[in-house]
Amino acid sequence: MLETAQVLAQGYNVFETDKRPSGVVKYLASPQDVIGLIQSGKLKEHILLVRGGTTTFLAPALSMGAIGVITMSGAPESHLGILSREFQTPCVMTVHLPENDSRYVPGETDDSHFEAIRERLDGKRVTLACDDHETGKVLLSE
Amino acid sequence: MAVMERSGQAEYTKRYEPGDDGLRYQELVYTGNFHGMEPVVDGIKGDKQMRARAKSGVLEKVSHADVLRDQFTLDELNDLNNYLAWNIWDVLVMRATEGVSGMIPRQEYEILAFMHEFYRYPEIMRYVTDQIGAQGVIDIGASARKEIGTKINCVHDWCLGAVAFGMGRCGLLALEVMGPDDYVEESNIILKFMQRVLWGKRQDGLILNSQDRYRCQIHEQSVIDMVMNQVENFEPGSEKAAHFTQFNATAELLAFFDHYDCRLGLGDTGPYPLPDGRLLIIRDLFTNEDVFHWSDICEGLPHAYTLAVVVDPNLMGLREIRVNDISTTFTLPKNYIPYITGGAVFARDQWNTPMGEVRFLPIESLQPEIAKIQDSTFKMYKKTAKMSRRQLCTNGIYSYYIEMILPHLRRAGAYDDVCNKFDFWEIDQRVSQYYYEITKRNFVQVVVPQKIFSGSGYLPFSQDADLRASKGRWL
Repeated sequence: MLETAQVLAQGYNVFETDKRPSGVVKYLASPQDVIGLIQSGKLKEHILLVRGGTTTFLAPALSMGAIGVITMSGAPESHLGILSREFQTPCVMTVHLPENDSRYVPGETDDSHFEAIRERLDGKRVTLACDDHETGKVLLSE
Repeated sequence: MAVMERSGQAEYTKRYEPGDDGLRYQELVYTGNFHGMEPVVDGIKGDKQMRARAKSGVLEKVSHADVLRDQFTLDELNDLNNYLAWNIWDVLVMRATEGVSGMIPRQEYEILAFMHEFYRYPEIMRYVTDQIGAQGVIDIGASARKEIGTKINCVHDWCLGAVAFGMGRCGLLALEVMGPDDYVEESNIILKFMQRVLWGKRQDGLILNSQDRYRCQIHEQSVIDMVMNQVENFEPGSEKAAHFTQFNATAELLAFFDHYDCRLGLGDTGPYPLPDGRLLIIRDLFTNEDVFHWSDICEGLPHAYTLAVVVDPNLMGLREIRVNDISTTFTLPKNYIPYITGGAVFARDQWNTPMGEVRFLPIESLQPEIAKIQDSTFKMYKKTAKMSRRQLCTNGIYSYYIEMILPHLRRAGAYDDVCNKFDFWEIDQRVSQYYYEITKRNFVQVVVPQKIFSGSGYLPFSQDADLRASKGRWL
């Protein structure tokens, strides 16, 4: 079923894994959002969507067992990439929308790029496909 | 833990054959100061390209006498500048795509710290060298060969030159507050200090891991034996493997966090080939740096955990392994975690705890340790989330400017002296003023990635540069 699922977004795959985590995408905009999610006890129900590729923003979520991460910037060599590999938490970085030509360029990309990705993914039930060497995919789940 | 099937045997040893150019980890290429020439790639081939363009012998194996000599020639300074610029690009160009933090203004504090180090380190390095001599500085580096849980490691030693000289000078040039032929004398002091520490650590005539096909095999056999004597072997996917890898990740995360989202919390050495064909990485994770006030959250945790990480290259089908100059291991295939088949954990409670008092922690005892680290991580997060941008920037500057030279000052017995004589914890007026400048004209968001991480801003010293020159005029 998943092989024919709609690709909502794709980006760098941080590491190859057969894991295919599924959950509802939750966009985290601020540290307070992260703290709230941890304290809600529902961390493992969500695939986390964040704008940056740095580690600290998601630190407690990674530490306490996040099941999957999507970022709008960064690369496997970024700190979040390194730590998601260490935790074996599937992670797709610098995602873009397949039907959209807009791509992230450090220092040049405006907010509309990030907003379009957030609107497309936030609240959707998705599965991360991370078995390819280079590309990770965000698939729409049934 | 899912172990993906691999076909074929490991081929990583081919990377150590003289004619091999290594594998590419990225598609980007580097130009630097070599316009109109063949672009330089990453990895082993990139190292060869850069060394072939050197005008001096400073990038080849150098002698003890070379290292003791106080003055680099102009060609040597330019060769080091060019090589470090490529090396910085090699290890950081992809990391630098990470964008905003949402938590810590890392890009802002980084550039301020770079410039601050370029201004402040020269007189401190000269003072330390005056106190302990050139050989004493070499011995600081050499001390790393006999210890685990020491911050005299790749990333800190590299930072002495690559950051304080390379990125610091590059940032000041980009900000147009100095010219390429200013501060030549200070540049020499910084690079000479870096060379001595790195040369003392490696003791093979080279200074950087990239010059040695990304190997950092610095530990003496007695250290490797001590570590290996405690290694527990396990099956991939086993409960023991899960506990070990979870501990590794959890401690590594706090180590990054305690050092303000930077690599200074992590120190890998290796890969050390083992008699049974596996590879050993010795990994230090610095979870409690008590010189920083925010580390009160980490009370009860050791200064460092050290992990022996044993990887099976054949199970993995390992094609290349790099321990780069900022102490981080990268492999092809990228995911080495499922192929860890042995491990051991040690704790060093203080930075100067004698090796004989380092504690061994059996893997079966790690779960309570993980819980303590997770608790500290969440407390650190809540504490950090309440800090202002100014406070985060100041702490971030400390986490670079203080931290990058702290291990060397401690080892030299000069930390208290430097605090007192040089107002070590004060921030220079010039850099304090730059706090406001860097947010203008998109300096942080655009200029820094374009100039510093792309390698285009590392202007050479001109042939007219005076080796004695500082900055004589502000016009």
